[in-house]
Amino acid sequence: MPELMVVFTIVLTLAAYLIFRFLYMRYRHPLLNIVLLGAVSIITVLIVCKIPYQAYVPGKNIMTSLLGPATVGLAVPLYRHRSLLRGYAPAILIGVAVGVFTSMVSAAIIAFLAGLPREVVLSLVPKGVTIPFAVEIARIHGGSPALTSAFVIATGTLGSVFGGSLLTLTGIKDPVARGLAMGTGAHGQGTAMAFIEGQQQGSMAGLAMTLAGIMTASCAPILIPLLL
Amino acid sequence: MSNKIRLISQIALLAAIYWGSNRLVFFTGLPIPGNVVGVLLLFGLLCFGVIKLEYIQDAADFLLKHLVFFFIPVAVDLMNWGPVFYKYGLELALAIVTSTFLTFFFTGYATQLLQRGKNRCRN
Repeated sequence: MPELMVVFTIVLTLAAYLIFRFLYMRYRHPLLNIVLLGAVSIITVLIVCKIPYQAYVPGKNIMTSLLGPATVGLAVPLYRHRSLLRGYAPAILIGVAVGVFTSMVSAAIIAFLAGLPREVVLSLVPKGVTIPFAVEIARIHGGSPALTSAFVIATGTLGSVFGGSLLTLTGIKDPVARGLAMGTGAHGQGTAMAFIEGQQQGSMAGLAMTLAGIMTASCAPILIPLLL
Repeated sequence: MSNKIRLISQIALLAAIYWGSNRLVFFTGLPIPGNVVGVLLLFGLLCFGVIKLEYIQDAADFLLKHLVFFFIPVAVDLMNWGPVFYKYGLELALAIVTSTFLTFFFTGYATQLLQRGKNRCRN
């Protein structure tokens, strides 16, 4: 009964989301990552119940049908903060561009030198960008969307746990600089941490997150053939 | 009830913009994701006043609040990639840790330099 399986996988995914969202909202700890814990528990249920991945795909396609329209909605916070964007235009554009370049080039070079397979290296390149952009960038350039989503979460978790201390240790105190670094380096997870530091840091991180996605997507067609 | 109708029609408008952006990418052969074009397109339409914030903000706020939900099914695909992590775990960790720290540092450093320059000009 494939219909029942679709219903089961959707209910399972919704339940995982609601449980881990509740836990995250309650404790606000960056290690309580909703996506990672949610996916791991679903994978565990699928393995224990001997359900193959293929049986999950129809439900997945239904659930992700609104991801595209949701992502387009990222233009709304960008528009709401347009005065901030205009007021700090040089800092934002140059800061995010430096970050995007560093992220893509350093990931590609280290992964290449470490001898990782090409598909894995390509999946690593957009790791600093928010998932909806990162998985599409990976897909266009020959990476794996699933691997990329895992790398994005690893990056975001690392950045949100250690990023703030790293900036403090290296003497980066300016709130605009901290916000941009958190949004460019650790996307949505970094943005959540930046909002805990302050409103200005959070807004900057949000802007940086979306702009980093746009810049990475635009640079990838030029940078990737040069690097690999 | 009218709230729900408004939300659904706003989602439909966002979906239409997303669909249009994908068509644009398809016909021009641009190597850029449709959702990136969609964000730029909607931002442009908002700036030029073609679309008012009221037409889409309820749907955008609602969907963005739950954006993380959509990532879970994407990440379930990881069950097909177990061997990669087993085989290359150390190399992957090295690449991700180094690259993330470098990104944080250089973004922060470059911005702080620019901000200091700006403050000096003002004084």
